Amino acid sequence: MNRRNFIEIGLGVAAATVLPVSLSAVDFRKTKEKAWLEKDVSKAIEGLYGSSSTTQGKVKLKAPDIAENGAIVPITISSDLSATTVSLYQDSNPEAAVAVWTVPAGGVVDYSLRIKMQKTGTVTAVVESDGKLYTDKKLVKVTKGGCGG
Amino acid sequence: MAGKTRIKAKEKDGVVTVMALAKHPMHSSIEAKKLKVKQNFITHLTAQVDGKIVYEISSSQFFSKDPFLKFKYKGKKGDKITIKWVDILGGTNSSDGIAK
Repeated sequence: MNRRNFIEIGLGVAAATVLPVSLSAVDFRKTKEKAWLEKDVSKAIEGLYGSSSTTQGKVKLKAPDIAENGAIVPITISSDLSATTVSLYQDSNPEAAVAVWTVPAGGVVDYSLRIKMQKTGTVTAVVESDGKLYTDKKLVKVTKGGCGG
Repeated sequence: MAGKTRIKAKEKDGVVTVMALAKHPMHSSIEAKKLKVKQNFITHLTAQVDGKIVYEISSSQFFSKDPFLKFKYKGKKGDKITIKWVDILGGTNSSDGIAK
């Protein structure tokens, strides 16, 4: 590791709001280890971004109103913002954070995935753009828990 | 244990839509206790085209079994998409797909 890289990484870790965009392949499980263990959604957001103040809107979160099977809850996050990161949380599982995407330069924010939910809870999506956090929330009713419970 | 990632990609108006199905048990801590196996889930997944990252996700144990991921990127027909992932026990996989 040369000196320049070292400085870049150091800055990235110190100032959570300034994510090292130039560095590709950021494993948030390694860089922000503690945020993944938080039980509270706002604390997990704070752990990841250094702030939990978010603005409602500009993000579209698609999730079912009622999920019959909590083992497969389809989620879609889309946004027209030029985002740097996108993250997903819920409050029905033991830990709040579900996933963090790093959006490459010029990337299209339109992500779908399937998650597990133990019980009825609120799913929260956060999109980081220009250092600001935009969010959308949705309550998903789960009739049959899908976290092995 | 963990197998291949199935990749389906289609180009339309300069945007490639990729659907990937990674074969992985994604045992959460609760499931692992019940089944008496080690907790295991994918922690980091990337998709690359010509060595450039087009999709990157740090994931948790709350993904469904055999995680399904759909995403879009600006690309063209014939792009070779390489999806790589790492799980918490150190398992890795790399699979290729071609954009149609």
